[in-house]
Amino acid sequence: MFILTKIADLVQIAPAQFEKHSRVAIEDNINAKYSNRVIQKIGLCICMYDLLWASEGLIGHGTGLVNVNVEFRLIVFRPFKGETILGRISSATPEGINIRTDFFEEIFVSYKELPESCEFNHNAQLWTWVVDDDRMYYDKNEPVRLSVIDEVWYDQVPESTAEDAVEQAKKISPYSIQGTMMKEGLGVCIWWDDTEE
Amino acid sequence: MKVLESQSALLTNHEVYTFLQNQAREYQEQKRRGPGNLETLRRELLQYLRSEENPLSQEPPAYDDESIAKLLKRLRPYEIQKGEMVMIMNLRPVNIPMLNAVLEDMEERFTAEEQEDIVAGVEEVLGKFPPKTQEEGDVMQTTENGS
Repeated sequence: MFILTKIADLVQIAPAQFEKHSRVAIEDNINAKYSNRVIQKIGLCICMYDLLWASEGLIGHGTGLVNVNVEFRLIVFRPFKGETILGRISSATPEGINIRTDFFEEIFVSYKELPESCEFNHNAQLWTWVVDDDRMYYDKNEPVRLSVIDEVWYDQVPESTAEDAVEQAKKISPYSIQGTMMKEGLGVCIWWDDTEE
Repeated sequence: MKVLESQSALLTNHEVYTFLQNQAREYQEQKRRGPGNLETLRRELLQYLRSEENPLSQEPPAYDDESIAKLLKRLRPYEIQKGEMVMIMNLRPVNIPMLNAVLEDMEERFTAEEQEDIVAGVEEVLGKFPPKTQEEGDVMQTTENGS
């Protein structure tokens, strides 16, 4: 689920932060910029893992900002294709099931990726897996295991600088995951729990 | 911003969990708060890693810093890929259907005995949740009533 990504960047420390130790000021700046943000084709950044290198600080002309070149590693959420992960059902539609984790909401399993003999109940807005005479429910909030089959990236660059174009671009998630539950062991967790004991 | 290496390592959930817990503790000791976006994400991520189905939620903890090395040693006879090993660490498959969810083409690659042995090895090294039984609930109630 998680990887380390090595990044080089310029950190600018404002005079108001001079009372902090440089190490702390650099870490806070990096985390303020990256934490909970998506970098396209990299993933959702969690936080700085370690600082590999930092240059001498140089004070910028006219601004008083201290410029520091840094190299560091970030912890990034980026499940690989084929990886099985845990999530929770957030909602269901005839198109499939939306799944979220506590920190990431954009996971979708298409109806095509549910086991055969699944049916959608429009009144209850939920999917049901019918095995022989048993009906098993993909209930809301139920913990599930799914396997990642694809990822969708969207660079939120608006088509124009008009306000509604900017708003529109922000509505599409920068990173979403598509999964499958069509394999033994995937789907609602309790279906596969040990029952013998 | 320049990406120097898009993926320099894979981390297990346990490593991320330990890192975030230590960070939270250090920040508290130093009486400092990280940026708001970090504080929020850390709280949500720890909540996820401690959620019910996640092996890291088990008390007392079933994992320690030696767990990966022990698991690699125990499962050395089998050709299990790195990504699959990470999933075994993260999801702790303690029965055959769960193992099937983390190993690609399991039935072609491993015999029934081998599958059983892998599952047994996972349980030996990483433990498993105590069975959720009706009795357990009853015992709790008796204790609460003090009878």
